[in-house]
Amino acid sequence: MIYLDNAATSFPKPAAVTEAVLHCLRREGGNPGRGGHRLSMLAAERLYECREEIAALFGSRHPENVIFTPNATAAINLALKGLLRQGDHVLISDLEHNAVWRPICRLAREGRITYDLFPSLALRPDRTAEAICQGIEAMLRPNTRMVVCTHASNICSALMPIREIGALCRRRGLLFVVDAAQSAGREVIRLEDMGIHALCAPGHKGLFGLQGSGFLLLGDGIRADTLMEGGSGVHSLDEAMPEDPPERYEAGTPATPAIAGLCAGIRTVRSIGQDNIAKTEAHFNRLLEERLADLRNIRVICPHLKGSILLLHAPRIPSEILGQELDRRGICVRAGFHCAALAHRTLGTVADGAVRISPGYRSERSDADAVWKALKEITMK
Amino acid sequence: MQNQGTPGTCNAVIGSVTQAMRAQRLLVGGKVMARVIKASPKETGRGCAYAVTYPCQQADEARELLRRGGIRIRGGDG
Repeated sequence: MIYLDNAATSFPKPAAVTEAVLHCLRREGGNPGRGGHRLSMLAAERLYECREEIAALFGSRHPENVIFTPNATAAINLALKGLLRQGDHVLISDLEHNAVWRPICRLAREGRITYDLFPSLALRPDRTAEAICQGIEAMLRPNTRMVVCTHASNICSALMPIREIGALCRRRGLLFVVDAAQSAGREVIRLEDMGIHALCAPGHKGLFGLQGSGFLLLGDGIRADTLMEGGSGVHSLDEAMPEDPPERYEAGTPATPAIAGLCAGIRTVRSIGQDNIAKTEAHFNRLLEERLADLRNIRVICPHLKGSILLLHAPRIPSEILGQELDRRGICVRAGFHCAALAHRTLGTVADGAVRISPGYRSERSDADAVWKALKEITMK
Repeated sequence: MQNQGTPGTCNAVIGSVTQAMRAQRLLVGGKVMARVIKASPKETGRGCAYAVTYPCQQADEARELLRRGGIRIRGGDG
């Protein structure tokens, strides 16, 4: 079996992750921040260690600003709905995942906000950070309060210039929310240096953690409204949630074993190096793209974008069928629309979707050869 | 306030377990032996909370480290 769907979730997980989860289940299975007994305290320690790892990796001095969520989508919903106010105008990129687009659409439908799409210029080989920022500047309104941007597209290898957009937001006094679902663990992200107010990420993709782990990292001093209330383990006699993060936003028992796995995953990322991971994946895609050059019935979408994702389309074969045919040959890829309507519209692939190849840092040259052979066989039929 | 459970040990009630862990890291980083415990309900007034314990002989040092680290002390030794 060849697994090339790491943009959906990384697989296989490093052995250290599995071991950390098992250790947590066997030895540290208390409820963190609730009891005072040793198992509860060990679990709380594990959570805090993970907050420290996340804060260190993403350039924050405040582990307490790491809010655990079940996934990146929950983190994005908390950032958007917790920070936006009645009458705000928001700019989002034309590459956003539905995790951003749908909550924004709902807020707009309810008359709470207005929004516009700013161009990612993903189709232009000559795209620059300056041109993207000029596009944002041109769309600002007096009531614009927030810019929301994916760091790395989930359907192509377009990276957004978050450092430059963060600087723009800082100059203009705007909130800057970054969806790092595809970039966390691959690209360097420094929350404080880049002027990011809310960084949203899953634990189970580039950070090698388990599904059910994710986080929102808030900038220093940023306070959002809560989306959910309940037990927090502190000030139990108060009717309101505590004021301080992270407990303010973490109602209910957290997914401690998944978070223990995430902590081990982040340590693995640090030991391999984010740059090495990104380079390995991009190298795989370059090899595959070179091999595909002789297959006339396969088209690479946005060939000027080089990175961790390779998006393919076969004009005569529906994308879902192509995905199924690859699966029959033992190759796991993601076909269809990838929960990214805006991005597929932007790339012109909204009619039939596409097939996404997303290797991992352990993908090998022989895997690329196998994909090429399979695609040749399928498209020649 | 001297911790009733362990002679010579003082405590500062902090609040959430996360803030208490943060306080503990600050104290340990400042060479004050500290650990996190669950505070007694009498010390909090608002229900559950966590505290850090440390040697009473280092109480002044501990208080200063917590103050500089921006940790709010809600009871106990503080």
